Formats: sequence, structure tokens, C-alpha cells
Amino acid sequence: MRRTLAAAFVYFVCFVAGVWAGVFAQTPPKRIISLVPNVTEMLFAIGAGPQVVAVSSYDVEPPEVRSLPTVGALVDPDTERIIALRPDLVITYGSQVDLQTQLKAVSIPFFDYRHAGLEHIMVTMRALGARTGHADQAERAARAMQASIDGIKARVAGKPRPKTLLVFGREPGSLRNIYASAGRGFLHDMLEVAGGEDVLKDIDKESAQVSTELILARRPDVILELNAANRLNDADLKAVLDPWSALGSVPAVKNKRVIILNGPGLTVPGPRVIDGIDKMARALHP
Amino acid sequence: MPDLLWADNVSFRYAAGAPLVVDGVTVRLADGALAGILGPNGSGKTTLLRLLSGTRRPSAGRVLLGDRSLDQLSRREVARRIAVVPQETELAFEYRAIEMVLMGRHAHLGVFTVEGPDDVRIAEEAMAATGTIHLAQRFFHELSGGEKQRVIIAGALAQSATLLLLDEPTASLDLGYQLDISSMLSRLNQEHGVTMAISTHDLNLAASICRELVLMRDGRVLAAGPTADVLTPDNILALYDVEADVHVHDETGHMTVVPVRRIAR
Amino acid sequence: MTIRRRVFVVTSAFALVAFAVMVWAPTVGSTPISLARAFDRSIPWDDNVDAQIFFVARLPRVLAGGLVGATLAAAGVVLQAMLRNPLATPFTLGVSAGASLGAMLAVTTNLELSVLGVTSIPLASFAGSLIATGIVYALAASQRRGLSTNVLLLAGVTLNAFFSALILFVQYLSDFAEALRAIRWMMGGLDVASYTPILAALPFVVVSFVAFAMMTRTLNLLSVGAESAAAKGVDIVRAQRVAFLSASLATGAAVSLGGPIGFIGIIVPHLVRLLVGSDHRIVLPASALFGAAFLVLCDLAARTLMSPLEIPVGVVTALIGGPFFLWLLVKRS
Repeated sequence: MRRTLAAAFVYFVCFVAGVWAGVFAQTPPKRIISLVPNVTEMLFAIGAGPQVVAVSSYDVEPPEVRSLPTVGALVDPDTERIIALRPDLVITYGSQVDLQTQLKAVSIPFFDYRHAGLEHIMVTMRALGARTGHADQAERAARAMQASIDGIKARVAGKPRPKTLLVFGREPGSLRNIYASAGRGFLHDMLEVAGGEDVLKDIDKESAQVSTELILARRPDVILELNAANRLNDADLKAVLDPWSALGSVPAVKNKRVIILNGPGLTVPGPRVIDGIDKMARALHP
Repeated sequence: MPDLLWADNVSFRYAAGAPLVVDGVTVRLADGALAGILGPNGSGKTTLLRLLSGTRRPSAGRVLLGDRSLDQLSRREVARRIAVVPQETELAFEYRAIEMVLMGRHAHLGVFTVEGPDDVRIAEEAMAATGTIHLAQRFFHELSGGEKQRVIIAGALAQSATLLLLDEPTASLDLGYQLDISSMLSRLNQEHGVTMAISTHDLNLAASICRELVLMRDGRVLAAGPTADVLTPDNILALYDVEADVHVHDETGHMTVVPVRRIAR
Repeated sequence: MTIRRRVFVVTSAFALVAFAVMVWAPTVGSTPISLARAFDRSIPWDDNVDAQIFFVARLPRVLAGGLVGATLAAAGVVLQAMLRNPLATPFTLGVSAGASLGAMLAVTTNLELSVLGVTSIPLASFAGSLIATGIVYALAASQRRGLSTNVLLLAGVTLNAFFSALILFVQYLSDFAEALRAIRWMMGGLDVASYTPILAALPFVVVSFVAFAMMTRTLNLLSVGAESAAAKGVDIVRAQRVAFLSASLATGAAVSLGGPIGFIGIIVPHLVRLLVGSDHRIVLPASALFGAAFLVLCDLAARTLMSPLEIPVGVVTALIGGPFFLWLLVKRS
């Protein structure tokens, strides 16, 4: 049912995008500027990479974009530069209202994106496919992602789902200002697919700052901590793990199931997310 | 009589290159004296008082307390000998009158010492001497102008100092309070032996209680000596550009000054 | 009652209240725990959830709250006396802005430093507070006349504005996660989960409190006026210098520990003066004790009112402080 609804939604978006494309440009865009790094990755995954002419200052993947000019980012898009590059499609984030108004004023079409759940990645890829004239390739890429997700789901099906605390922020070296997934949103979706039970599910927020008392009270079986570092040698790893030992009664700490998942692209809502979900699944169900 | 306080040819400027506010002034206060420092606003009276109390150091000259120079004494030592009654007191917080007076004991107490029964007795005696003992538990800011001034004077007396310097003690007071304060100061000087120097621009206050005067204008001493000798119409003219008559009042016996006209210069 | 007795009696009364609050606070929270179990030595540490909640999650938090509350309240008292203004706060002279900038830079540069168990953000914020103190002091000091309180105020206010602008600028340059962490730090937080940060701040607080204790009577005289205090025997230069530097050091340590928690430094001295008068020999210790109890209670509210989530403690103190001031203004008129 969900699949059907998703498909219907995709077709609707494609229709609208098609009309829009028809209004603003008869042919697929040849000069795309992307201000949203994860959407840039999606563009490359669906074959629209060669059309990308500029990216945001935070874009680093795939490697091809590193040589491209940059035009600012979420809060500081360089409108003049963008216009000067003569794009025929700009990928904007939903909150960049000022930029969108300015693009409308000079008749440059834009594709409006906002983060949402895991499913939204595939939806977006299909919409981008229709918009950029790579519909077939997008469909294949989206299907492949879905298949990978389904594969992970199948792998962990039937296994007991450990109570998991998914931490994505913390003051280095201490247990202060811990931010964790709390029952909703993209990271939560990843966790669910990977076979974990969000120990803060009842809070029903995308993120929550958790106190040490709450962690001790909730007693998660596994603590997954997301770390942006590329590599963590043994000493680094030990330094990151060390503060958790203060909470010795937490099953995750007692049973040495505090796992650091490192890598900058793990939680980017784009094609690489599969890798992140896979790492989570292996951590939860070794 | 020995000199209690001697300002020896002192000069003062507030900053390098600024004009001299006090210029070559010599003032000698003998033990038991009741001197007035008289002059118009801006004549340097307040600054001279600061030099005499040691809160400012003279740019030239020296101030001797007994035989020691003021700058060789610590602030505590000076405070035990010289007390100052400033022109105005603005409180940021609410203190009771007795607390204000007890602050005068500071120079006699060690760092962690709290006022003992002797200190309280001295404070109460000071309040009795200024007729304010009945105000002890009242809040300072609730008192009238005259009462406030008397409490401040009590605080200065509580320092057990032998020398009292007062800056315009009656400036903002009603006539009734002016009389109260001036008669009280006279009494303190004569009955309790407190040496005083009063800085004022009020000719009649100076004339009524001060036995000697220092006339100041533009930072310099115009004339100094016993009141009767110094407070002459010529000197008043030189000081204020005002023609005045000087009489001895029949009933009170002290000098009074009646201004007649202003002379344009 | 003699003054000595009064100081003793009032301080003891406040000490009793503070002690009671600090003993009670760790026993309550968003999770019900059994005190019997928590103190049962026979249960192994790693199996004793109640003990860990008590000794790891709550007790350090209460101790940190007590320390920060006492320090900010006492520093507030000292600065109000020195500046002769009951509206002065420990943050008026730029110390907390310096601390915030330091913390902000540590967050944005992802500084990972650890000295004697103290991590980068407290270190950087303490360094920031010292730098801010130094700048304000240098601007306001002059050999002959000690510290000019006017210049002090101006320098402090200017530094506050300037550092705040820098903080915004750094925030603008940082990414989401960093900006969020910095903003969160500035709301204040006492969930230290470890005794190390408390012990690290303690020496500076102790040194400052010793200085405070030695200058309580001097503060009385200073608060009436610098000239009149000098005439009564106070060494103005030294007194103002010691007051400013010790209050700034204490504030810097407190802010490094718990973030810039506002309103403690002004509500507590105010309430205490309403209760016990203005003699700083009573106001200072009473404010420190009351400040400790007050912040611990605010933190208790912060960690229980919206359970399982928490309200940042600086928000709680601000929510109480704002209406309190409005009430004061209304009362005055």
C-alpha cells in the first residue's frame, strides 16, 4: 500500500515537474547548480552529473564536484554568482525563500528540496530524474536503493531488536549536550531499517537533548554514536568511548556495545545512506 | 599652639597640561582651630579639602599632619586622624543611620574584625553629640536633609579623628537646619575640642562660627587670618566682586555680611 | 543583637536552607529511584542503576549547581557594591561575553583539548573570560586613581557588544551542528556527570571567595562612594582592583562550568537585601548560600518539569527573572 502511494506521489510530482519544465524550458537543463550537497550526490547517481556546473561550498562528494566553482550554501548563497553562471536549473533548499524569489525574478527555474524521511530520498531521485531528463536512470537508481534497503530489512528480520540510543552529537571528551534521535525523522528511519528499536521513541521528535539520568533510566542495549571523522585510530577511538564508561549500569556500556560509526557521509540523505544503514545493521546484529 | 595640619605651598592640577586648580596655597590649622575656607564656586576649595584629607596628592608642595607627610601615612592611619564630611551623600543601597555611623570605625578595625561594644559606644556617643541618637534605626534615605547631614557628621566623629574637614556642610539645607548644623559644629569645636576646617561659599556661616578664615579665589589665597581681620569689605569685593557691609550683630556677637551691590569688572 | 551575632545567626539560617536543598535535590528527579538501593554497598556498582542515577547523574549536577549559583550570586553582590548600582550583574563587565566567545570558537574549530581532565569548551571559555577581564581592566586602570567605575562600565558594555557581534559572526560561519551546540551551551547546563569540571573550577572560586570575605566591610564603604570610602580609610585603588579581579575570576570559572546562566547574579542579591538589609557582611554569605539553593532548585525544575526532556537551566532562571523584575519595577512605582 505504501509502495503504491509512493508511486502515485512520484507520478504526481513528475507530472507537476513536467508541466513546470514545459513552462520554463522545453529541453532538459544543461546547466544545473546545486546548493544542497545530498541532492548533488543524487544528481550524480541518476546520471545528471555532467550537467552540474556549480555546487555549494559544503559539497565534497562525489569527487568530481571538488573542482567545480562554489556559490555559497544554505544561509549565504551567492545570488550574483549563481545568476552569472547562467544556470537553467538551481537546486534550492526549502527555507531559501529569498533566493527563490530572486531566481523567479530573473526567470531561472529552481527545484525545491527539503529533508524528510528515508523514503523521500527515492522520491526525490525520481523527481530529479523527471526534471533533468534522466527518468530511466533515476528509476533504476531508486529501485536499486530500495532493493538494498529491503535486503538489509530481510537480513535483520526476525532478529530481536535491541533498544538503541542513536547519538549524533556530544561535547567531545564528556557526556554533556548529548543529542540523540528520538523517534522520528530520517535517522530514526535508518535505525528502524537496520533493525534497532529507538529507546527514545516515545518522545517522538527528530532530535532530543538527553540527560545522563535519562540514559541511565532507559537502559539502552546498544549505543550507536555517529562520528564525522574519516578515520579513527585506536587512541582516538578510546578517547571517544571513554566518557561513556561513567554510565556503567547501562547495558550498552556494561556489555561493551557502545559502537562508534564514523565516516562523513554516513547520514547524508542520499545514495550513500545505504552504507550508513548497513553499518548500523552490522553493529546492531553482528 | 602646635600645627595639626599644614598644607605647605601646595598646588594641584587634575591632569598633565591642565590648569592649576590650587596654586601655591599655604594653610595652617592649629589644634582646636575652627577655620573657614571661603571663596566662590570654582575657587579650588573642594580640591584643597581633598589635598588636606589626603585623598589627592598635591602636584607640588606637601601636606603635613603633625610632623609626618600625608603621603607617608596609609589611608587607615590618616582616617584615624582626619575625618571628612563630603558635600553630598548618595546611597545606592539602604543603610540604617547607625550602620552609616559605624562605617566610621573602619579604620580602627582589622580585616575580619567586627565592630565590638566599644565601637558601638563610640558611634552612639557621636550620634548623641550630633543630636541624632533617636534616628539610629531609621533608614538613611528616609531622613530629612538636616538629619542626613548630622548623621554624616556623626559618622565622621565616630572615626575618633581629631580633625574634621567639612565641604559645604550647609549648602543644601533650609535655614533652620543651617542654624542647627552651625551651632552644633561650634559646640563640637568648643566642648569636644574637635579641630575643624569648613569649606563654604556662605559668607554668613563663615562669619558666624569660624574664628579664622582663608579666602580663596582662582586657586590662590587672597587673605588669611582671624575672621575679624580678614572679613573686610575690601576683601569681599576682591573675592566676590560685590560691595558689602560688614557688621557685628548685637545679639549674637558675630559678624554678619550684607551684600549691597554687584560691581561689574 | 550585636553585629557579630547577627552575621552568625543569619548566615547559619541561610546555610541550613542551602544544606537542606542540596541534600534533598539529588533524591528527586524525573526517574523514581530507591535511596535504599542507591546506598546499598552490597550491590555491585555496574548493577546499581539507582546508585548511578544518584551519584553520576544527579549529585554532580547538584554540586555544580550549588557552586555556580553561589559564585554568580556572590560576584553579583561584589560588583553591585563596587559599581554602586543594584542593577549590575556579573555579566555587566564583559566577562561572560568573553567566555561565550571562547566556547564558541572551541565549538567551531572543533577543538579537542584536554588538560587535567578538563575538556576544550570549559578551557576555552575560561581563557576567553580571562582575556575579556584583562581588556576591561587595562582600559579602566590608571595608576593614580585606581579603577574608574565609569570607564569600567563603558569598557564592559562595549566589550559585551563587540564580543556578541563576534559570536554572531562565528556562528554565521559555522555549520548547523556547531551553531546548535554553541547556542545550547549559551543557555546554560549543569549536567556534568563527573566531578572533574567541578574540581577544576573550585580553586578559582575558593581564591575569589577568600578575597570576597576579606572585603565585606570595605564593600559597605565602597557602596556609599569612593571618595567617602577613601576618607574613612579604604585604599580605593587596591579595593576596586581586588573587587573587580576577584569577581571576574569567579564569574569566569562559574561560566566555564555551567555556561552563562543569567539572573542569578541579580535576583539573589536583590531578594537577600530585601530580607536582611544591606550590610555586606551579611549580604555576601547569605547571597552565596541562597544563590546555591536557588540555582539547584531552578535546575530541579529544569530537569523535571518537561520530563523526559529538559529545559535549559538558563531558560528557567530567565523565565523566573523576567517577571521578577517586572514585579520589582511595579513595586517601585
